[in-house]
Amino acid sequence: MSRYKSIPLEERRRLREKKYKKHNLANILTHWFNVACWLMLFPTGIAILSSPALGLSPLWLQELFRNIFGGSANLIRFHYTVGLIWIFVLTFNILIGFRRYFVPFASHRMLLDKDDIKWLKIKPLQMLGFMKDKELPPQDAYNAGQKAYMYVVILGTIGIMLSGIVMTFKTVFPPILKQVAQPIHWMSVFAIVAGLMIHVYMGAVFPEEKEAFFSMFSGKVSAWYARAHHEKWYIEKLKEEARWEDEVEAQVAEASTVPASQPTGD
Amino acid sequence: MATKKKYGFVIDIARCIDCRACLVACSVENSVPMTDTRIWVYTPEIQGEFPDLTRTFIPYNCMHCENPPCVDVCVSRATYKDQENGLVLVDQEACIGCGYCVEACPYDARYLDKERGVVDKCNGCIQRVEVGLQPACVATCLGGSRMFGDLNDPDSEVSQALKNASTVMRLDFEDGKVDTDPNIYYINYAGATDPLVLPDKTLPRPPEYTLSQAGWKKVAVPLMAAAVGGAFLVQAVYFTKQLVQGESEFEE
Repeated sequence: MSRYKSIPLEERRRLREKKYKKHNLANILTHWFNVACWLMLFPTGIAILSSPALGLSPLWLQELFRNIFGGSANLIRFHYTVGLIWIFVLTFNILIGFRRYFVPFASHRMLLDKDDIKWLKIKPLQMLGFMKDKELPPQDAYNAGQKAYMYVVILGTIGIMLSGIVMTFKTVFPPILKQVAQPIHWMSVFAIVAGLMIHVYMGAVFPEEKEAFFSMFSGKVSAWYARAHHEKWYIEKLKEEARWEDEVEAQVAEASTVPASQPTGD
Repeated sequence: MATKKKYGFVIDIARCIDCRACLVACSVENSVPMTDTRIWVYTPEIQGEFPDLTRTFIPYNCMHCENPPCVDVCVSRATYKDQENGLVLVDQEACIGCGYCVEACPYDARYLDKERGVVDKCNGCIQRVEVGLQPACVATCLGGSRMFGDLNDPDSEVSQALKNASTVMRLDFEDGKVDTDPNIYYINYAGATDPLVLPDKTLPRPPEYTLSQAGWKKVAVPLMAAAVGGAFLVQAVYFTKQLVQGESEFEE
């Protein structure tokens, strides 16, 4: 972070105290709803997946969950039920907030640009200990790693949902679909889980990203954090703020030129 | 897999007349749809030269194997080997009807019930056995060919029949590649070979594993283990580093 070394103390203080809104309420609620469902679905799903030929889940976990729920059938029924609620709510959220939240989110925060590609080339090497002196390109509201993981999550979620629906409505779909749905289901899950390990660590534990965790409750991050980690987005925010300041100044100027006798009708 | 009881069938081949009353009794008892059956009678070609002809009938149903290939492939543990009575049973509420087990069974003893979207098979009429009755096929057998009981109990009818039999055979694998260790014993067959080799070698067939099981498993499981393990390692390294270095409120 050598390029911030010249910032004086007072300015740093101001930046640390100033907050910008990064996440809206829809994103926050959907995120934590998703977390709650994953906490219920992931362990039960692992416990259902019992084929010794696959060897994906330990026997003690299977026994534990079968004993808690009272047998395979109840365990599967729980998994179905929570899964269907999960599918319904996520789909509903996207549909109801399609124009207001989803389209702006998809068009402004998800697309990879040149800086992101460069970031993806440098960052993995830096994590391995090479190219430490190289400066990372400025990032959007989400950095390139987060964006890349977002694609994994979206594709994985669609895979999990479709294959889950196939397996839930067993009388509707032919056996061959149910056979193919199984590997798709658990492969999607594990692709997401591989990234989830990094996601949870970076979001909740890693010291440099501490603010990211609290922003998932309050929706806000400090200007210092925004400037250090998401520079492009920070500049956008500054521009927004400047526009707002101009507008206010114009308003005030307009209001002060109006004679006092006339009623202000706004 | 040692189970408390070891229920199995002993079938006296010399007494079977291919009347197929067992098929009817089974279907009635277990509400098997008209299109399917849980019991079959295998009828090989007539053997020998005229006038010296012989014909044998080999009734079979689920062998309730000691090493059942169908249990290994079941993803939701709907198919299981009961630890109390040793029968291979299907929990149809947990079954999603994917049919992995149908293809894995070397005896083709399972079928997919398309109406209910689940797999069905012989359950040894456990609902009858539990109240002290014989399975429907055994109770109805005209020639007294079918016998059912606990093979672990030396005084049971089946154990006694096995002891007094002139020949004992099972429908096991010849080459010993797959060892299912079936629990249907065929007795008193004149042209006996052990294991019993059916003339046109239709059964048992090697267990089949579908592409979505065998192929994916070899590629996807190591791939996933590598991805999840790698991510965990990266995370663990950084976390340890963080723990060692400590953290302060005013770092940037």
